[in-house]
Amino acid sequence: MVRFGRGNLRIPKLSRSVYVIAAGMTDFRKFYPEKQSTELCLEALKMAVGENLGLSPREFRGMPNFCVYSQFADHFGDQLLAAAKIHDYLGLDPLGNIEVKTGGATGGSSVLAGIMAVASGYASLVPVVGWERMDEVNTRQGNAYIASAACKDFESELGWLYATYYALMMRRYLFECHPNRETLAKIAKKNHDYARFSPYTQLPGNYTLDEILNSAVVSDPLTFPECCAMSVGAAALILADEETAYRLTDKPVKVLGVGAGSHTLRTADRRDMPVLLLPNEPPELYQNRTSDWPGFTGFLAARFAANLAYRMAGIQDPVEELDVLETHDAFTVSDIQTYEDIGLRPYGRGAEFVESGDCYFEGRLPTNLSGGLLGGMHAVGATGIFQLSEIFWQLRGEWDKFHADEKYWARYGKTKPVDFKSLQISNARRGMAVSHAGTGSHVTATILERAW
Amino acid sequence: MSKPRQKAVLLSDIHTILVKNLFKQNIPDDVIVKENPRTIIHYHTYGGLSQFFRGLAGGRLMGTICIEDKCRATETGIWLPPRVHCPDCWEKMYWAEINTNEAAVYAHSTTNYPGAGFKASAPCPLISVKIPGVCTKFMSYLSEFGEGEPYIGMPVRPVFNTEKPTYTILDISWIPRD
Repeated sequence: MVRFGRGNLRIPKLSRSVYVIAAGMTDFRKFYPEKQSTELCLEALKMAVGENLGLSPREFRGMPNFCVYSQFADHFGDQLLAAAKIHDYLGLDPLGNIEVKTGGATGGSSVLAGIMAVASGYASLVPVVGWERMDEVNTRQGNAYIASAACKDFESELGWLYATYYALMMRRYLFECHPNRETLAKIAKKNHDYARFSPYTQLPGNYTLDEILNSAVVSDPLTFPECCAMSVGAAALILADEETAYRLTDKPVKVLGVGAGSHTLRTADRRDMPVLLLPNEPPELYQNRTSDWPGFTGFLAARFAANLAYRMAGIQDPVEELDVLETHDAFTVSDIQTYEDIGLRPYGRGAEFVESGDCYFEGRLPTNLSGGLLGGMHAVGATGIFQLSEIFWQLRGEWDKFHADEKYWARYGKTKPVDFKSLQISNARRGMAVSHAGTGSHVTATILERAW
Repeated sequence: MSKPRQKAVLLSDIHTILVKNLFKQNIPDDVIVKENPRTIIHYHTYGGLSQFFRGLAGGRLMGTICIEDKCRATETGIWLPPRVHCPDCWEKMYWAEINTNEAAVYAHSTTNYPGAGFKASAPCPLISVKIPGVCTKFMSYLSEFGEGEPYIGMPVRPVFNTEKPTYTILDISWIPRD
């Protein structure tokens, strides 16, 4: 779509307020033969219900009348209607439920579906449970499965590798925007490093920039530490209406804004168009822009989603008005692109978000303190829920409770690092998570705010 | 006299493999991981896009263009990959042969670790091609390359696999124009 009608840009409105009241997750691994997907999902929801909400499973199971399940790829799990098995395993039959699928943004879209269920009045309490099991095939076949989420007629045969499709964008980004190559590596360094302070993460690492830049090249210019993990694991979030939320917890977190956007599955098909402006961007900002938009360097879906979410939340300047952010850093380049799409810096200047220090813990807008997808996990159906869980704990001041406690490290057979540090942002009030699919085919942006 | 009964038995050619090691990790002794082998053939139709793939096999690169007034075909240009229908007015579009005289590399990346099922040799330089008059960037590969190639702006021309067509997008590739 190049020209918008008024209806296309309508700012979403929830008919009633929606709150996040609990979150839970498993650890994430490349290979998890010890547990089936059903077991992982149960553990994630059990953690949210028991350790975050303080309810017994029996009490909780009496509360929802609708559930949302989040899994990216039936062919990875090799089980159609997998949600029916998970739902049954959780003892939630005969409640109505849906399984949402929007590629890498499945988690974000599932939470959006849960928000809609509560906001519409259909439900008062909705668990959203996401998982992925990517270890039933070897890595080459896994990459081919992921590339099945490119166009099978015109793209997939060209490499069967998503990293290449992002590498094409990276080449173009380096050519058009001239960031230092090291700046992209710094994103990988940061996120692998933050992953060291979480018991849930798959790829913690204390890399030097040289190590990242000199690692094996997956598809040039992307090196291995600049590409996300393939994971197994689960995450769960519980949503509720106002009355239920305040009854079950003193510290509910409100959904302040939520937006969804889309763009062509094939990167190739993105027609040139005028830049869609965010609330903090004056019309003259891109007057002299000569390169294509969104071209290969921006994601219209991300900008469209962020635009709706900001306007719904009344946010003008995201760097000033948000306290914590989780982006879908599947690749270093997609992360820097996203900074621009969501208005942290104007187009072409995403590197400044890193070089200014803004993106770091104790910076103006700490980003991916969870370790993100590069250091943390990408069990695709769980990812968007994992992101919002981490934001939720930050806003509740519970980051230490769920990351610093030795109990969680021991649960996953891990040892807390000797140089462990707390990544709890003091007095975090507002956070956002960006969930992203394909080469930007679907994106959701969800803004949460402390509501006590 | 006992009632005659049939039997249902496991087929004799079942060959079960239990896996002990995957992803360079040992599987715990108390966990069963078994191989689930499969060979599956899917049948995929190109439907209204068949003409495009038949074109490649015949050495022609075809796109589609909308001629409806409201769609300003001259502004939008040719769709490549083609679509049968225009996404703006939903009317059927017209086939047009692409003029590749000024085609140039728009973006490139050499894939070193292709996923399973890749039907070309690796490393393989994948390219996006910018073609004047075309509103999209065409993804393909460079089938001849030297030191420092491909590069952004590199002039390229298409070559077609007409001898033994695969009837996939791999039937077209590009080589340096010179």
